[in-house]
This record gives sequence, C-alpha cells and structure tokens, in this order.
Amino acid sequence: MSKAGDWRNYKRVLLPPVKDLHRLDVYEANEGYRALREVLTTDKWTPTSVTDEVKKSGLKGRGGAGFPTGLKWSFMPPVNPDVPRFLCCNGDESEPGTFKDRQLLEYNPHLVFEGILIACYAMTIRKAFLYVRGEFADWISLMEAELEKAYAKGYVGQNIMGSGFSCDIVIHKGAGAYICGEESSLMNSLEGKRAYPRIKPPFPAQKGVWGYPTTINNVETLACAPLIIRNGGEWYAGIGAPTHAGPVLYGISGHVNRPGVYEYPTGMLITDLINEVAGGMRGGKKLKALIPGGSSTPILRADMIDGVTMDADSLRAAGSMMGTSGMLIMDEDTDIVSWLRRITHFYHHESCGQCTPCREGTGWLENIVTRIDEGEGNLRDLDLLIDLCSQMEGRTVCALADAAAWPVRYTIDRFRSEFEAKCKPSLVASGLEMATV
Amino acid sequence: MADFIKHPVVELPERKPEPVIPADQLHFSEDEKKQIQTWISRYPTADGAVMRALWLAQEKFSFLPPEVIQLVADELGMPYAKAYGVATFYTQYFKEKKGKYVLDVCTCFSCQLCGGFDMLHYLEEKLGVHKGETTADGVFTVQEAECLGACGSAPMLQITNGTYVHHLTKDKIDALVDALREDKVPAFTSVTLPQDEDEMGGNRRTDVAATESYGVCPVSETTR
Repeated sequence: MSKAGDWRNYKRVLLPPVKDLHRLDVYEANEGYRALREVLTTDKWTPTSVTDEVKKSGLKGRGGAGFPTGLKWSFMPPVNPDVPRFLCCNGDESEPGTFKDRQLLEYNPHLVFEGILIACYAMTIRKAFLYVRGEFADWISLMEAELEKAYAKGYVGQNIMGSGFSCDIVIHKGAGAYICGEESSLMNSLEGKRAYPRIKPPFPAQKGVWGYPTTINNVETLACAPLIIRNGGEWYAGIGAPTHAGPVLYGISGHVNRPGVYEYPTGMLITDLINEVAGGMRGGKKLKALIPGGSSTPILRADMIDGVTMDADSLRAAGSMMGTSGMLIMDEDTDIVSWLRRITHFYHHESCGQCTPCREGTGWLENIVTRIDEGEGNLRDLDLLIDLCSQMEGRTVCALADAAAWPVRYTIDRFRSEFEAKCKPSLVASGLEMATV
Repeated sequence: MADFIKHPVVELPERKPEPVIPADQLHFSEDEKKQIQTWISRYPTADGAVMRALWLAQEKFSFLPPEVIQLVADELGMPYAKAYGVATFYTQYFKEKKGKYVLDVCTCFSCQLCGGFDMLHYLEEKLGVHKGETTADGVFTVQEAECLGACGSAPMLQITNGTYVHHLTKDKIDALVDALREDKVPAFTSVTLPQDEDEMGGNRRTDVAATESYGVCPVSETTR
C-alpha cells in the first residue's frame, strides 16, 4: 500500500513550479525569506521553539543515514559566547546514483540559504559553510552570484533584517573526493587538511570544525526547514509515510523511459515510481533489480519489491535502506557481475587510505570480482568475498568500508547463481573430481 | 636499515624536481593575492582557504607542480607538506601536465548501464589514446571519472572540471571534439526536470543558453 496518499495531485514544495525561482526577486515574490523574517522578527519563535517545530515535523536527514534532524540540532552544547560554533551544509553529493541536491542548488538555491539561516538561528550559529563538490563548478558560480544578491539585500550577513542576528554563509568548493560526503572528513577538508575521517566520539556537536561545536546537515534536509516554519511541523508530518515524513527528491536513473529527479512524498510504492512516475521500463523490458538509494544501499531483486514503499521502515523490512533515494533501475539484460565490478572499482578508487581494512579490502574486492567477471574465478571466491566483507564491516574509522562491503555481500547473496555461472565450473559439479581419483 | 632507506622498495617521488614553471612567472598578481586574502578572511584559519587557493593556482598555471604548491603554501603561511598533502588527495587537482581540454567520461554504474563505457572507448579510439593519456598535440586528455552526479542524463562527460555535456552519443562526441579544437567550449546546459516539463511546458530557467530534457538512455554495448 502506498503511504504517499494522493500523490498524483501532489503539489511540489521543494521545487515548486515557478519560472526562474532561482533568482532572488522571484524567490522573494514567492514567499521567499518569509519564514526567516518570521523567525527573526516575531516573538513566536525562539531558538528552542524552532528546534521543537523541526522535531515535531519528523524531518529525517536526507543525506543517507536518515537521522532525525531536530534531535541532531538539540545535541549542540549550551551557548557560550566565547566559543564559536558552525553549521556545515553537506552538498558533496557523490554517491553514485544520486543527483538530487544539484537540482535543488540550481533551481532553488535561496531555499537552501534560507534553511541554513534558520538552522543557524535555531542553534545560535554565526557562520555556516556550504560544502559543494568541486565538479559542480558551474552551479557554484551560479550560487555565489545569488548569495551575493542575498548579502546585498541584507538576508545574509550582519544584523539580518534588523533583528540583531548575524550569520555568514561561505560556499566551499571541494575538489573531487567521495569521502568528503562523510561528515568528519568534510570537516577536515574544510580545515584545509587531507579529508581523512575522524574517530567518533567526540561527535561534531562536541568537537567539530576547528574543534568547535558543529552540526552537519544535507542540502535537501536544510531546504525543508523554511517549509516547516512556513506551514508548521504538523503539516510537514502529514506528508507521506508517518514514520518518515516529508517531500523527497527521488533521483531515478537507469533503464526507465523517463529518468530524472522527481519530487513526491515519502512512502511512494517503488512500482509506482518505476511504472507511472518514470514512464515504465525502457523498451518494455522486465525489471531485474534496483538499488533504492545510492550505491551503498543493498540491491533488491524484482521479486522483492511487491508493496515496498520508499521510506526507512518499509525498505528495512524488505532488506535494504532509504539512503539518498537515488534509485538505479536495472532491466533483465543487466550483467550484475560487471555492474558489481564497477561498484567495487568505485570504492577502491575513493577509499581515502587511512584504515587498512578499507584501503586493502576495497582493492581485493575489486580484484576478486574482476577475476570472476573475466571468467577466471572459482566458486570458493564467492565465500572469500563474503569473508572479506566481514573483515571490513565495522572495523574502520568511517562507514566507507561498510558501504563498500554491503553491495558485494548483498549482491552475491541475492544473485548468487549469476556469479556461479561466471565462475569456472567446480570439479565436484562437473564430475571431474571422481574421474581423477 | 639505512640501506633500505637509501633504496626503498617503492620508488619515492623526487623531492625537488626541476621546476617547470619559469621563476619569473611563478608568482600571484596583486589581484589574485587580494582574492586569496578574501578567502582567508572567511575561515577561522588561513588553512581553510587552501583548496580555493589551489583552484586559483591550477587555473593560472594549468596544473600543480611542486613549485606551485610551494607558492600556495607560502601565500597562506602553511607548511609545504600540508599543502602538498591536500593537493595530492583530491582527484581534480592535476599533479602533472594535462591536455588543454580534459575530458572526464563518467563510467560509474548509472553511466555504465547506459553506455558510459561505449562513449569512453569511442573517445579513446577517436583520439588515439588510452584513458589517462594526452593526445600528441597536447589538446585532449581522456580520463575515466567516478560518479559526477548527473546519473539521470547518462552517459555524460565533463570538460576540464567545468561544463557538463549530457546525453552523449557518438555524433555528439564528434561535434564536441571538433568544437573544442576551435576552442569553442559548449555553454552550460540546464537539464529540465520532468515534472517541470509537464507543469510548465519546459525548463523553468529563462536565463540559460541551452537546455535539455531527460530522455531514455541508450542501450549499452559494453559494460567494462
């Protein structure tokens, strides 16, 4: 059962259908910065009440982990005027299959700025960093121009709207490293170090960038904040799946007729998303498998998605995760082994090299999967891979090793026969063993 | 032991290779220095501006040999080793000289399943180089890129850390290579959201030169 209600008549809120909404004047004419004005200039709102409203909305992080945002905000220690605090907005979108934040940054950048400012107010932060991956150079220039306009109009900077609240936004341009999407390595990257993840604890709220209290949220997560203030937490909680509320940008790619980024409520049936939203399978082929939210989320076979909806609970029950909701759809002709080989190559390339299990493990995953894909593998390589995954999961500073191991583990688990078919026939199966004895 | 240090198993990079940038060109202009100071002022410490400063240096010198990294480090007052560590960590900083145009073809899985490798191999064949190599005339470098975050418009490539070219086909690559030989870099292309097409009849932005719609991706011939 879909939890998205009447999604066919859904009115978009993150990317509402307004021409040139990315321009400040158009954004202003469409309720832009109204939520910020309300928060800063009316007595209704205090930092605590903003956080409470976000808690009430049930907003969960859209970056992959799905952590409740209001709760994360409340982890910040009490305000001490001598200790600076920071907000980082994570726009390092690098998870293969994910391309939603870029659309938000292109088509509605001021919503992101407004969300950043509201979050800063809620946590009494005076400086925010918007970390965008270096590949998005064109979009960074666009955003910088828009940010300058917002500065000129007094929406960002000193004494915003005469409220006495000041906050700066700095756009930080990355330079191509998947690992920077991990919050602690994003912090190291901001500080001008190699982007090695840090051991947690201490968590960013205690010791973040430059050792000061820091909160890190995804672009899409922060873009929800102005909507929650404008319409109330209860309104937001009423959208989509009850336990995972809100609008979501679904990035659908792969073998569908109409790939792209779609905004719909959470809790959409996967079958609806493929067959109705994305126009069905390319060339009328049959669905073979899909990943629901970026390369790290476990693959689902076509027979596993009956009644499964795009929210954390339903996907967990089906044996996968919500992730970034960047869905990759694969048709019946897809070679799963080659596909997995490319994923292992990706993680091998992107491992930062700090922890041995990940640095070496990702390389061996690639080597062994490549061997199988080239037809040189043995059946026992499959068990070797699973064993290797067990040696990697949970044994490193950050979750990249887990993210690299899961696709291998679950793809072998769910498509074992395809891997076996590419392996050299075993002596037992071919009857050769008896013959040689 | 000492012998091992003198003759390491893994060859170490030369500590002080011959500089490739002539000494008289190896400096930032006053404007550039001012720009770097602006970036520094936005971070609690000067180190925070190192990534921006390296970007600036790369745009100026086209790549980052050790002497350029030293220049950046001096400008920010940070140790050379730290700046070198940053420059070598990120894939978009070029440590060696590349072609005038670097073509990063994405082959990560969405592109892989939609013909990314077909495009990469076609480009390799067309230009007569393998991935990672530069053409003899120094105009093109072909690289295989990890996910560039444009999975819906696969297959795609990026031109020298800048413009994205979506929905690649062999014809499009031919046209692109010809255009780049004449130094015509394609304009920024905005990819229209499918819902915008339905509700607004096209791209929502009126200020972009080129737009493109999401469409059915091609069938891939090879996936490796």
